[in-house]
Amino acid sequence: MLASSRSKASLLGETEPSLAAGSAGRFRARRQGSPWEPYLYLLPGLLIFGLFVALPLVGTIALSITQWDGYGTPTFTGLSNYVDAARDPLFRSAAWHNLILIPYFALLPALLGLLPAVLVQQMKLRWAPFFRVGLFLPYIMPGVLIGVVWRWLLNPVFGPVNVALKAIGLNPPTWLGDFQLALPTVGLIGAWAAYGFCYVVFLAGIQKIPRELYEAARLDGANGLQEFWTVTLPGLRREMAVVLSVNLINALRVFDVVAATTGGGPGRETNVVALHMIDSAFKINRVGYGTTLAVLLTLVTLGLSLLVLRLVGGLDD
Amino acid sequence: MIRARRVLVYVVLVLGVVLALAPFAVTTLASFKTTVELVKGPFQPPEVWQWQNYATAWTDGNLDRFFLNSLVVAVLVVVPSVFLSAMTGYAFARFRFRGSGLLFGFLLLGLVVPLQALVIPLFYLLRELGLLNSYLGLILPQIAMSLSFGTLLMRQGFVAVPQEIVEASIVDGASSWTTLWQILFPLTRPVVGTLALMFFIWTWNEFLLPLVVSIQEEYWTLPVGLLNFQAQWTSNLPVIAAGSTIIFLPLTVVFLIFQRQLVEGITSGAVKG
Repeated sequence: MLASSRSKASLLGETEPSLAAGSAGRFRARRQGSPWEPYLYLLPGLLIFGLFVALPLVGTIALSITQWDGYGTPTFTGLSNYVDAARDPLFRSAAWHNLILIPYFALLPALLGLLPAVLVQQMKLRWAPFFRVGLFLPYIMPGVLIGVVWRWLLNPVFGPVNVALKAIGLNPPTWLGDFQLALPTVGLIGAWAAYGFCYVVFLAGIQKIPRELYEAARLDGANGLQEFWTVTLPGLRREMAVVLSVNLINALRVFDVVAATTGGGPGRETNVVALHMIDSAFKINRVGYGTTLAVLLTLVTLGLSLLVLRLVGGLDD
Repeated sequence: MIRARRVLVYVVLVLGVVLALAPFAVTTLASFKTTVELVKGPFQPPEVWQWQNYATAWTDGNLDRFFLNSLVVAVLVVVPSVFLSAMTGYAFARFRFRGSGLLFGFLLLGLVVPLQALVIPLFYLLRELGLLNSYLGLILPQIAMSLSFGTLLMRQGFVAVPQEIVEASIVDGASSWTTLWQILFPLTRPVVGTLALMFFIWTWNEFLLPLVVSIQEEYWTLPVGLLNFQAQWTSNLPVIAAGSTIIFLPLTVVFLIFQRQLVEGITSGAVKG
């Protein structure tokens, strides 16, 4: 889950990429090397990055205002792809599905991770590394694997989940095969993969909250709940922002889990934007339209994650 | 009261771990059964442990080839990415030069842009370069995408090295190249290690790129292979379970060995700021 992406791991890596802050007064170029030296160090990296990241990125934007079938010359069509997207019922339903996945991928695991972290608070745990590792493990697994594993676990006839539910007398649904339940089920799989990650982030955050704050709250007569609202939660703002934005991005550009569990079905009930984008570009060769969807996906992802960082993390101050 | 809370904590944590790990455990158990046994009940142990499910997945399912591909691609992405990141990170940590802010921002672009945003033109670019269905086509773009995070982390690592050490090396007349590889790089080994691990996991798990680049089965990596494997063996769940185990077991071992660095890399990589 985590891993499918180099981009999200460090969305917050450094909130302002200012060089001055770190380097001023540390190293200084006070040798008499060639003035070209730094550029030589950068050259190979910049070349590869320019060719395989920057150029395709420009290509995406440029192609999004054309019609192209992948051969010959693209035809300039202005914003008509964007108009098409606004009218495309498949894109609209796919975008809606991504939105529905947000609470499952982002909110639910955050809550599930927050609860044990708050319970542990600053208690010394026995086997702490065991819990950390056990809970974190799903997060490093490839999305396809997670999808394949859950697909068989949720097999309606002999999957362990339904066998167990039948054993206690319930009449379980078909999960991924059910038109109403397929999308929430994909969402729950996403939540399952992420809650351990949330727990680890929150626990690390809580343990950094100064002990005195808790003691002061207790002196003021705060009960556990008040302590949570006045000390723990404000102390976890940054962690909350990270967890929510990282998982929000996962919800918006989810691809591999869906490809491995439902392939967008049943019907189109779990079709998501990334899937629609790849289908458009490579299955029906509407390359220009596919890149338009890529632009929209990227803009919405950036916009929403900035919003979360701002609202929750208070990064504007 | 405190005792009650302790008990509650352990109950919740154990439940959480069981929920996180049970899917893998049940899958591995299933991988040792016959289809008939599996249909009879997923939780019972097999009568005879069916090791040949693994042989089937490994050879008939071509997982051997995909495993090899994944390994080759991962190594050839991780090693150059680490060295290139050290060089770019070093340029920003040590030198002041015109355009450094701009170039730094440019290289960090990869942190905010998902692969989805470039994969379509990337396909046509690789087609033009004749790199579809090749290791290079799988490797070069992933090196490029690794450089953003790598540059950021290596720069931070180098900046954190006490200046006296660097100055001593300059006084000794060491070139900037020697200083980088013989002094700074070894000193930042923990950062390098974390970075290499992150690159490894990212590359190992990458799905969209090989899906698009590798049209021929010869160049599939494990995630793409597993997806097709699932489609091919639908009627033979134990073999699918064996294939899944072949994929998650090595990853689990790597994770257990390096769990401290990995968890810290993934979480603090995100939270630091």
